[in-house]
Amino acid sequence: MPFAGFNMPINYKTGIINEHKNVRNHSGIFDVSHMGQILIENNESYLHKLEKYIPLQLKNLIKNRSHYSFLLNKDGGVIDDLIISNIDIKDKPYLYIVYNASRKKEDEEIFISCAPNAEKIYNKNCLFAIQGPDSINVLKNIIDIPNNMNFFDILISKYDNNEIIVSRSGYTGEDGFELSIPNESAENLITDLLKNENTMLCGLGSRDSLRLEAGLSLYGHELNENITPIEAGLSWALDKERLEDKNLNGNKILSDQLKNNLSNKKIGLISTNKSMLRDGMTLFDNNNNEIGKITSGCFSPNLNKSIAIGYIKSEFNTDNPIFCEIRKKLELLKINNLPFVKKNYKKNGSVYE
Amino acid sequence: MGAYMSEKKYTKDHEWVSIENEIATIGISNHAQESLGDIVFIELPSVGNSVKAKDEICVVESVKAASDIYAPIDGEIIEVNNNLENDAAIINQDAENDGWIFKMKISDSNQYSDLMSEDEYKQFLEQ
Repeated sequence: MPFAGFNMPINYKTGIINEHKNVRNHSGIFDVSHMGQILIENNESYLHKLEKYIPLQLKNLIKNRSHYSFLLNKDGGVIDDLIISNIDIKDKPYLYIVYNASRKKEDEEIFISCAPNAEKIYNKNCLFAIQGPDSINVLKNIIDIPNNMNFFDILISKYDNNEIIVSRSGYTGEDGFELSIPNESAENLITDLLKNENTMLCGLGSRDSLRLEAGLSLYGHELNENITPIEAGLSWALDKERLEDKNLNGNKILSDQLKNNLSNKKIGLISTNKSMLRDGMTLFDNNNNEIGKITSGCFSPNLNKSIAIGYIKSEFNTDNPIFCEIRKKLELLKINNLPFVKKNYKKNGSVYE
Repeated sequence: MGAYMSEKKYTKDHEWVSIENEIATIGISNHAQESLGDIVFIELPSVGNSVKAKDEICVVESVKAASDIYAPIDGEIIEVNNNLENDAAIINQDAENDGWIFKMKISDSNQYSDLMSEDEYKQFLEQ
């Protein structure tokens, strides 16, 4: 399937549901080399320019930690969501940013305008995610992982005599790691990982159903340039002090949104029968009034039902029944708090929500 | 002349049809189930409905997408495979036997003759 200019597998041999369950119960390996990876020198002038777009205090980022954040446009809308880390590479301090493949053009325009010598590394480094409770066991014989590494910690390790960037992170709701590794060692690493017979290669299909069960937002679905992080229910990821800083894009709008009521809210939904909820379906109240839309839907292998994330009008009382139009019929849905499946991060890593 | 089972024929929409005593049994081809991936739900057609060839009569939902199932020929729906209600994955396991979806009483057997043979369908898939 074509995806952001890449030819990506939706699934491998055993299918989406099997890959999904293998990640929840054991582990699975995702090739996410299509994603953007960039290194920006950690100096004050660059940080100041980046802080126009990124709602964090970049000079206070803790070394060897990652943060979930955004690039914001002048209205506070989300240009992209990203993971930004403070890490030394060959004794030089950098910000290492991983961002969405579909937003490379927009993001890189900003990165280069802030830091002209920013170095895109995705052409020379592959990015693999190994996800699931057994990830540590699959990895530990191959790569040196300290015992005290927590979720969202990041460090430099070695493989094949090459330096690789290892972060304990991912987007499935499970414990796991992401490995940025030079292309020439990538195939060896995958071969080594797959020697563990309980792991398997996984495609985009299970990546989507895993992140949806974990209630995580996906750019182009829950997030876009017309939605602010606050409207997307992600205000926990904003540094509140930055909202008072005029240097931050959309700071006034964001700060007002935080104090006032929003017009929409994000909700989780579960199908009450067996039909599938999909992106774009319209939601209705008891009186046939349109109250919102689904932004992501899939079959949940863990719940054995279809699940969805959507936005509805804030004034809608969620004790009332909510319906979705599926093939011209209205079907009753159940509202479910996000996430659908409890996150399973290592230690104090309740970083996401 | 006793009951006979005709050769299995295929449509361009990746359905198979076999006929026994003017009763057609219809399902989706093995190729179709492979490309749909894990099938999780099927909305079966209503028994008693008269339908025309190419009418959308039911929907198969896989983890990837919803796909319409068309009537391959004119006729009346006389039976549906209720086993699929509880376990639509039967289609993944055995699309062209146990995974049959519905049966029709057909009104024009010429329409059946116009469908592709198994060899013709294989060639069609290679195009």
